[in-house]
Amino acid sequence: MNVPIRMLGIATTIFWVILAGFIASAGYSLKDLNFSIGEPQFTTTSDRDMVLSLPLYVFNGGFYSLKGFNLTTVFSDAEGAEVSRSSTFVPTIPHGQNTTILHNVTLNMDKLAENDEQYLFNDTSLNAEVTAGLNFAELLPVQLSTNFTFPWGAPLYDLTFGQPRFRSLSRSNAAVTVPISFENHAAFDLNGTIHANLYDKDGTLLAESQTPLDVSKGSSYAGNLDFAVPLNTASQASATGGHIELHFSTSMFEYGPVVMPIG
Amino acid sequence: MAFRVAKATVKAVLVYLLYFLVAPLILPMLTLVPGLVESIEFFVIVFVVLMVLSDLTERTIYHCFFNTARALFVIAYLAFSVRDGLFTTNVENISLTVNLTLFYTIAALLSLLELAKTVMQAINFMSERAETGIKP
Repeated sequence: MNVPIRMLGIATTIFWVILAGFIASAGYSLKDLNFSIGEPQFTTTSDRDMVLSLPLYVFNGGFYSLKGFNLTTVFSDAEGAEVSRSSTFVPTIPHGQNTTILHNVTLNMDKLAENDEQYLFNDTSLNAEVTAGLNFAELLPVQLSTNFTFPWGAPLYDLTFGQPRFRSLSRSNAAVTVPISFENHAAFDLNGTIHANLYDKDGTLLAESQTPLDVSKGSSYAGNLDFAVPLNTASQASATGGHIELHFSTSMFEYGPVVMPIG
Repeated sequence: MAFRVAKATVKAVLVYLLYFLVAPLILPMLTLVPGLVESIEFFVIVFVVLMVLSDLTERTIYHCFFNTARALFVIAYLAFSVRDGLFTTNVENISLTVNLTLFYTIAALLSLLELAKTVMQAINFMSERAETGIKP
């Protein structure tokens, strides 16, 4: 019986040494593992999506490959409702190599405005929850999670209308000009049109106007909505409380009506 | 007796040297979990003490007792330190979770193998003593 016992002892010792060696080499590999995050880039797509591209640079100088790298970003609003979910999966990050991972986070403006129109008019913040998981040394699943607030700039921040101005075009027609202004705090340029309808106090459509829009990110817009209406009607609309309805049609979102009382 | 003392000393020094050399390599990983370094130090101390006692009491039944105690201690240490197999630590608002279930399973299975070996050693020792008529 001595021989089997001795063999069992040798076998367990060998396995312990292998296990200890693995732990030591895995721990040692950690110090040669570098993660860095590049400058995020904003782009827009034809589907009216805002894409935030975040480059991740990984240098795996350790002894083992990293398997099943999975990065998930979830954006939610102040009430906790999920606004966007994006995942990036990399099957293998080989050892001894530099790997660049591009993590794309997509935000749909139409969906955002549908959830809460205040995203169009007020600067706010979104809650971002980032979870990264990978299989280290093919034996140790590791997960890292964090959350932070992501500043949100409204594309129609401080949307205001000035006092309507009336001027006579002819004996029977008048022009109504309504100044409009806002600031584009969003991370994208605003291109499109403002379609405006002028109604009298009874809700009858008096005139329509279309104004082109081309506002770069971070800049202000100040323009006029011009309507041509019969002279008597314009006076009536201003005096007795008509209203203007605005419809924004841009490359990033469709929104309307925004109702502005006049008079 | 002098040989046993020398053998126990050499083995204890070797184990301590192994710990001394390996610990700095895995220190970046260990420091992420609070209290883990102290826990491992405690484990190494108890393990070495039981190993030395086992070597000093060789060719007695106490040798088997201490070997079994050592194997049971390793299993118990793993069972208590593992809990659900997940080590979670928080640095500022970053949470790091390492799933050590597989590693602990392998270690626990090896410890069970060690325990089986010590039980076989005890049986063998008792049967040899019964055959020779010497009291254990």
